[in-house]
Amino acid sequence: MSTRVPLLCAWSGPATVIVATIGFLIAGVLPFPLGPNSSVTEVVDFYSDSTRVAAGLVIAGLGVCLVFPLIALIGVYLVRMEGRNPILAFVQLITGAATGVVLLVPLLLMTAISFRPDRSPELTVTLNDISWLLFITPIGPFMIQNIAIGTAILRDQRGLLPRWVGYVNYWVAFLFVPDVLAFFFHSGPFAWRGIFVFWLAFVAYAAFLVVMGFTLRRAILDESKLHASKAVAV
Amino acid sequence: MTLDISADADLPEFLGGAAADSQRVRRPTSPTGEGRTPGEPGLWVFILGDMSLFGAFFVVALWQRRAAPAQFEVSAQELMRSTGLINTAVLLLSSYLVVSALWAHRRGGMRRATLSLVGALACGLVFAALKVAEYLHVLGSGRTPATDMFYTFYFVLTGVHLLHVLIGVVLLAAWMGVLRNGRAVTRYVEGSAVYWHMVDLLWVVIFTLLYLVCAA
Repeated sequence: MSTRVPLLCAWSGPATVIVATIGFLIAGVLPFPLGPNSSVTEVVDFYSDSTRVAAGLVIAGLGVCLVFPLIALIGVYLVRMEGRNPILAFVQLITGAATGVVLLVPLLLMTAISFRPDRSPELTVTLNDISWLLFITPIGPFMIQNIAIGTAILRDQRGLLPRWVGYVNYWVAFLFVPDVLAFFFHSGPFAWRGIFVFWLAFVAYAAFLVVMGFTLRRAILDESKLHASKAVAV
Repeated sequence: MTLDISADADLPEFLGGAAADSQRVRRPTSPTGEGRTPGEPGLWVFILGDMSLFGAFFVVALWQRRAAPAQFEVSAQELMRSTGLINTAVLLLSSYLVVSALWAHRRGGMRRATLSLVGALACGLVFAALKVAEYLHVLGSGRTPATDMFYTFYFVLTGVHLLHVLIGVVLLAAWMGVLRNGRAVTRYVEGSAVYWHMVDLLWVVIFTLLYLVCAA
């Protein structure tokens, strides 16, 4: 196995952030997303430019799927860390696959909203509520994934990945906790558009993808250098 | 330039790895010398990171209070300050007990360490019980997280903190397992102690902010 495929998988972490952000910017989700207290007119207006919104959301949806190669690469490293009984590796693969899906489905739903912008406004508002709450609140798979990665790294005797990366994973798991509050607030810092919900989750998940991508890239390069120097010595 | 994972001796059995690998490498125990990072350096990424989340909670809470100081004052004065004060004392005592447990553990005083840990665990559970009683009282008087911004922050801050306390209780219980096996102080043990002190420190700030500053 050459280093090319693993390196591509590592780069897909930061690429997820970049492509999804570009898609969000085109669609208008960023920099200022709709909130639970947005008026009916604001919500309908958001989806009225349906071609631009759909194009942006399609890009964001494709970008989010770039997380899958990263999850596979994390899985390979967890298998190597755990050795004979790679239970955490499987936990990470299963929950990681779920995270991709729970990110993708609400984006597809938003794209579907833009498909018929002339529908009755209440329906658009309801569908918009559903897609945002689906997008923000399913923190379970994310947290279990982070805890599985963190635990595998900290239990690893050989130090395939730096130990601080394990602690970063625990931290990211904690940063997702306030997201469930989106169900209970229509405005303020704990509503879905609030600083402790959308923004905190966005930054935490982006940090996770970038940290995992770059530390895995480093690990792959270091290891291939080691193999090369061994080959020379032989 | 190859990355050949089949070169690993400890691949899982279903991928063709060696079957017998029951002997685990002993985890290196941490030195107890002076001038080193408690636990390990990486741990502090988590500790400082987690505290910065709470720091952001505090800043936004104070920011929101600026918009409605009178409303914050009225709501904060409804809280039972005595419960908060008792909980502060309980957590400070638990922190002392954790210090004493670590001290005894390092010197091989397993019995003393176990007794201190039992005390710290009991403090953690008393804290959680008082918190739940306080929640029931507050909810019983018709106050919910949606009542006003003060109660939003009251429930969120104390709720996320209570989650930390419960995780801390699990960590301390696992430390008891280390003691029962007669093992020396590990990175895990020191990390759990550091985590518990963080939980205590956060509570002191939360108590000051919600029960004292907002009520003033």
